[in-house]
Amino acid sequence: MNAKSLLTNPYILFWSILFIEFWVLMWAYIFGNYISPTEEAVRIYTATAYGNLLMLSLSGASVTIASSLLYSSKSIRYVTKFTKLSPSRFLLENLTSSLIALLAISAVMFISVTGVFFARFGFVVMPVDVVGLSFSIFLGTLFIYAMALFLNFSVIILRAPKSASFISFLPLILAFSAYASLWIDFGNVTYFSPFNCIVSVCYYYFSGQAPPTGNFLVHGEQNLVNVTLAIGSLISWSIILMMLNVVLLKRMRGIGVDEIRTT
Amino acid sequence: MFSMILSQDLYVTYKWRQDPVLKGVNGSFKNKSLILGPNGSGKTTFFRAICALTNIASGKIMIDEKSIEDLYATKEILSTNFQEVYTLIGSNVYDIIRLYTDLSDGDPELAFGIIQDFGIDLEFIKKRKLGELSSGQTKIICTALALAMKAKHVLLDEPFEELDPAKKGKMVKHLNQYDGVILVNTHETWLLKSLRDWEVFFMFEGVLYGPLLVEDLLKAEISLAEEPDTLLRLKVSDKTVSIIRGKGKGTLLASLENLDKIYQLAEGE
Repeated sequence: MNAKSLLTNPYILFWSILFIEFWVLMWAYIFGNYISPTEEAVRIYTATAYGNLLMLSLSGASVTIASSLLYSSKSIRYVTKFTKLSPSRFLLENLTSSLIALLAISAVMFISVTGVFFARFGFVVMPVDVVGLSFSIFLGTLFIYAMALFLNFSVIILRAPKSASFISFLPLILAFSAYASLWIDFGNVTYFSPFNCIVSVCYYYFSGQAPPTGNFLVHGEQNLVNVTLAIGSLISWSIILMMLNVVLLKRMRGIGVDEIRTT
Repeated sequence: MFSMILSQDLYVTYKWRQDPVLKGVNGSFKNKSLILGPNGSGKTTFFRAICALTNIASGKIMIDEKSIEDLYATKEILSTNFQEVYTLIGSNVYDIIRLYTDLSDGDPELAFGIIQDFGIDLEFIKKRKLGELSSGQTKIICTALALAMKAKHVLLDEPFEELDPAKKGKMVKHLNQYDGVILVNTHETWLLKSLRDWEVFFMFEGVLYGPLLVEDLLKAEISLAEEPDTLLRLKVSDKTVSIIRGKGKGTLLASLENLDKIYQLAEGE
């Protein structure tokens, strides 16, 4: 599936943009009522909001990426065996087009959060480190893609089309679980949860401050995330999942559309 | 290099503890061949196994002396007309043909020529996705695409299904013109007279029998008795069906429109 068809896919437009826009408005006009209207406070609040909303948005997009790959799994098997497209080249080309789509969604979320928060607070809050934020978005999109692919290939290898719907929504479910860090301190679990790492790294490059391991919206003493460890965790997750994806891609034989629809 | 598809003691089971769909299939295919068998006999499953699209319980498939399991990014060796393998992009049919022939270093003009020969306009396929076509149009396009990929071995699953008689004749012409090994699976026997230099295999209840030359088969008869001098002996519904040289003792196979009637014969209907 190419970037254009991903970006015009109605499911992606709903789950990763329209659905998340609702939460952008909630963050600006409901949760934002308790924020002091100073630039520093709003910057940290915006960094928290963008990190969390980006994580949810990318997870929403992965639902569509995973299901589109599931529906074309027989084709993927066929072209990687009987055309000049090798499994690793397929992964590289699919990764590129998916990253373009995911980065475009990230940009839409950035413009949306910045615009709505400007309307709410009366001034524009820009990230402290734009290059660093772009890097963290790239890491987030890479992980989300690798995970969507891994879940999809697992469904095919295990021949479990009955679980396809649940599995494709798993990233979104996990993302909402990670969302709980707004009120709960995850401690060192943060480093094992790639979703929390996405939030932490985005927060750091947006605000210029180390993020807490949880309790974002709760006042009191907070433990801080070691951002280098969080980046290392995200990179490790992505590399491990991509390596597994190459192995699974070579082993999987695809699932027919009829099998998915009739189960 | 020797060009051949080889199946050795192949068993395929869809689900654990289920009876196998293919039961020890042995066969080698090095010429244009037909696999005749009634619906549900395992023909399509056999083609899926050759394309590595289904799990093999035991046995193996070799193409040009290489195991199917070890083949990756190997163009010009195998193509098929299964619709499910042409859904890589959700684009229009024209773009799909361009993509797949590009990926296989095939000839898109061959596909477009065949498609136009069947009266389908290229402007039409630029506006339609594969899933938006009729069954007959889909069959024509997937078959044209399989032929245009210029593979040494082409597997065509029921290429005459959903086609009117005139189009069936055109399809036979294109298959005869193709320079390579073609395996066609079908349950129709009317086409035997048009494919006289092909080989014929039979598949019944997951077992492959053959080959026979079409020329010999056209003169053959089916008998339900245990004949001593048989060309082939088939097991159908626990009964033996002998294909024998025509001596006026049985029913001429060429007179049967559909092999399902062998089941009727075996049941004594």
